This record gives sequence, structure tokens and C-alpha cells, in this order.
Amino acid sequence: MLEAAIEILLKTVVILALPLGALPLIIHVERRGAAFMQKRLGPNRVGPFGLLQPLADVAKFMFKEEVHPTHVKPFFYTAAPVVALVVALLPLACIPVAGPIEAFGRTIFPEVFRSDMGIFFAFAVSALGSYGILLAGWASNNKYSMLGALRACAQMVSYELSLSTSVVAMIFVYGTNDIHQMISSQTGYWFGVIPQWGFFYQPVAAMLFLVGIFAESNRLPFDLAEGESEIVAGYHLEYSSMKFALFFMAEYIHMIALSALFIIMFFGGYSLLPGFDLIAGNNPALIVVLQVASLVIKVALMIWFFVWVRWTLPRFRYDQLMNLGWERLLPLGIANLIVTVLFVYFRNR
Amino acid sequence: MAIDILLTLLTVVFSLMVVFSKKTVVAAFSLLMTLLVIAMIYFQLGTVFLSAVQVLVNAGAIAILFVFVMMLINLEQFQNNREKSKWKLIVSTLTMLVLLGVFALVINNNIEALSVVNLTDNSMKTLFAKLFDVYYLPFEMATVLLLASIVASIVITSHDKAEKLEEK
Repeated sequence: MLEAAIEILLKTVVILALPLGALPLIIHVERRGAAFMQKRLGPNRVGPFGLLQPLADVAKFMFKEEVHPTHVKPFFYTAAPVVALVVALLPLACIPVAGPIEAFGRTIFPEVFRSDMGIFFAFAVSALGSYGILLAGWASNNKYSMLGALRACAQMVSYELSLSTSVVAMIFVYGTNDIHQMISSQTGYWFGVIPQWGFFYQPVAAMLFLVGIFAESNRLPFDLAEGESEIVAGYHLEYSSMKFALFFMAEYIHMIALSALFIIMFFGGYSLLPGFDLIAGNNPALIVVLQVASLVIKVALMIWFFVWVRWTLPRFRYDQLMNLGWERLLPLGIANLIVTVLFVYFRNR
Repeated sequence: MAIDILLTLLTVVFSLMVVFSKKTVVAAFSLLMTLLVIAMIYFQLGTVFLSAVQVLVNAGAIAILFVFVMMLINLEQFQNNREKSKWKLIVSTLTMLVLLGVFALVINNNIEALSVVNLTDNSMKTLFAKLFDVYYLPFEMATVLLLASIVASIVITSHDKAEKLEEK
């Protein structure tokens, strides 16, 4: 009993520490990446390569005076950033950072919540992501915030549909809901070089999922919830100092969690990158280290992709957003699902 | 055990808040909390799939539409429209009596499909096999309930329309 409790506690600390510790680095990459694409230098004064800039920002957020507007609804106003961050952190609970580890005479699963319904759990809790934003917009009692929150909410609900169709298609392809089984069926190679990743089975589903995670995490080109040029700052307009920082963190953690889910379903999760299996050999400890490294590298590439897209595509107009979601992606997703189901049915007969 | 009691109490408290809270948005959030606590009860019983579906469908999609609409049209002007009428009292008493009768029937006659549900099975296949076999009657009753609520919503909205036409 005590042993199990300690195990869960340790796992929770590690799973929380990894993304929260990577946050300053991600924010730095985002700012330097933006500068790189716009042919400027970006923050490079604080520390080597400006690496200490995020720490300076944190210090600023901590010591800044907190402005508490008087026209807000106090309870919901205070609760909203916390809800946003907690809900963003929840899906991380069932993302495994490595394969099952045989140690201390038993099998340890490197995820906080082990279940054969892991993928369902992750998507269920990430569906709650819009509540934080909706609460913030409503509690701020401000027209711009309200507009931002309503936009975010409508967008998330619309794109969740096409995202779910791609998830269901992948569950049919793998024939399981278990994340570990999904990943182990992606470990092989075609012709000894091309990894058997889900992306090559289901490129359409991968595309739908990719668009879905951009919309779910409110990143450009889907950042209508913030839209500086139209509604000032959207749902977090009335928030300052640490409360704003919580929303900021929630957005990045949402990005990390959704990227990790994308990688689990389409790019082999923690399965070793091509070439890593030659280094690892049969050393179990080295395999675990390289598995963690593979996952981290894949997520880092996804984050870089987020930054890349942000400075490549302009923001959609609202009607374009809704047309894309309901008239293009959803029929495409349903058609893809039907074809997949028929294919799987006739293959298994 | 303690956690079961706590979750049950929370469900009751939040459900009561849905009915009796004066602010519509607070009521909507209480509804959300009720749904989430019920999902936690499923989780506590060991059915991760059911609790995930409860969160995904009810809390993630349906409740968000309630909250969305209530925020959009800002229902604060309807805060205290709990008018008391004789008809309301009669109808609600009748409904209560019928419900009590149904409960008495269920408790006295050991209907198999309405007995204690064993939820500890985690596999989806067996769950759905049971749903479409033993628990077919409750399942169909739930659909009838949904149909009734659809009819009710149509009646409520068309009533408003008729009144507006009369005003013109």
C-alpha cells in the first residue's frame, strides 16, 4: 500500500516536473524562433544566448503588482486560471515516457495512471480544456473577454469532432485502446528503414488530428480567442501578473500534451527513432534512456513545428474557421472513418 | 468507503444546487460538477471507460453547450421567475407520486434488468453485450425519456412563438 503510494507520488512529481521544467526552454525557443523567422535577434542579453530571459520573466511575473478589477465576478475570476492549468495538466497522467520497465522484481509502467483505456481518458479530460477559457471570459465581465471566450469555445467544440473521428479511425487500425499496445504495434520497419508509424497507415487522420490540435490549443492560425488586432487580448484581457502566467503555462502544457498524444498515435510514441536501436543493443537500461530521449526529441520537433506554423500562416477569419471545421474537415473525417472501418472489417474477416 | 460517501454527498449537494441556485450560470456549473462527480463514482467502481465517456460526452460536450448558451444570452433577467401556481403544484405532486410508485415497484419486484448493476467489468465488448442484452429495457427507457424531453422542449419553444404572434 505504502509502496504503491510512494510510486504514484514519484511518478506524479516526474511527470509534472518534465513539462513544467521544459516550459522556460519552450518559451525561449518560441521567442528566438520568432526572431529567427523575422530576421531579428530576439532576447539574447540575459545569460548565454539569452537563456536566462525566461527566468527573468518569471521573476517579473512573481513580483508584479496584481491588478484585481472591481467589476469581475470574484470567485470564478480567481478559479478560471487554476481550472485552465489543472485541466491542461491532466492528460499528461496517462502518457507513458518509456516502455514497461522490469525492475525490483516487477513491471513498472512509467505513467501515473495505468489503464487499458488510456487514450480515452486523455481525450476525455482534454475535452474539458475549454472550461477554463469560458470561465475566464465570463467572469471578466468584459465584452472583449466574453467574445474571445465564446470564439474559443465554439472553435474547440467544432474541431473536437474532426479530431475524434481521426482518433476513432486510429483505434480501429490498432484494434486497441491501450497506449502501450498502440506503440508496440508501431515499432517494426518496412524494408529495414521506414518505421511502421501510424502516419503511414492513416495520413488523412494524421492531418485531421494535426489541424485539431492547433485549434484545441488556440495556436495560430487558430488563435481567434486572443486576436490582438480585433479583441485586444480575448479571454485573458483582465488578468495580470501570475494569473496571466497561469493561462500562458496552460497553453504551452496543452501544446505539449496534445503533441505527445499525436506522437503516440502517429509517430510511434516512445518507440526508438531509426538508428537508436543500433546504439541500444540489448541493454535494458540504455533502451529506457533512449526511449525517453526519442519521445523528448519527437515532442521537441512538434513544438518547433508549432512555432514554424505560427510565423508562416496568418490568422483565419471566423467564417473561414467554421467552414473549414464543419464543411471540409468533418465530412473528410467521417469519410476516412468509414473507409477505415470497411477496410479493417474485410481484412479481419 | 469514506470516499464513496463523500462522492455521493457531493453528487446530492451539486444536484440540489442545480435546482435551487438563483444564478443560472452557477446552476449550469453545478450541473457540470454533478456530471463530473458521477464520472468519479464510475471511476471509483473501476469502469474507466464509462467514466471517460461520461466526461467526454456529458461534461465535455453537453454541459459546455448549456454553459455556452447561458453566457451568450446572459440569463440574469430570468433570475427570479419561480412563479407559484396551482397547476405546477398539482403536476409536480402527481409526478412525485408516480416516481415513488415506480421505485416501490422496482424494490418489491425483483426485475432482473433493474437489479444492482455489476460495473466492475472493464472490457468494452462485455459492457456493450450486456447493454444490448440484459439491460435492453432500461436502455430503451432512457431513449423514451430523451424523446419526451425533445417533445417538451418543442412545446415550450412553440408556446412562446404562439404568444408572440398573438401580440402582433
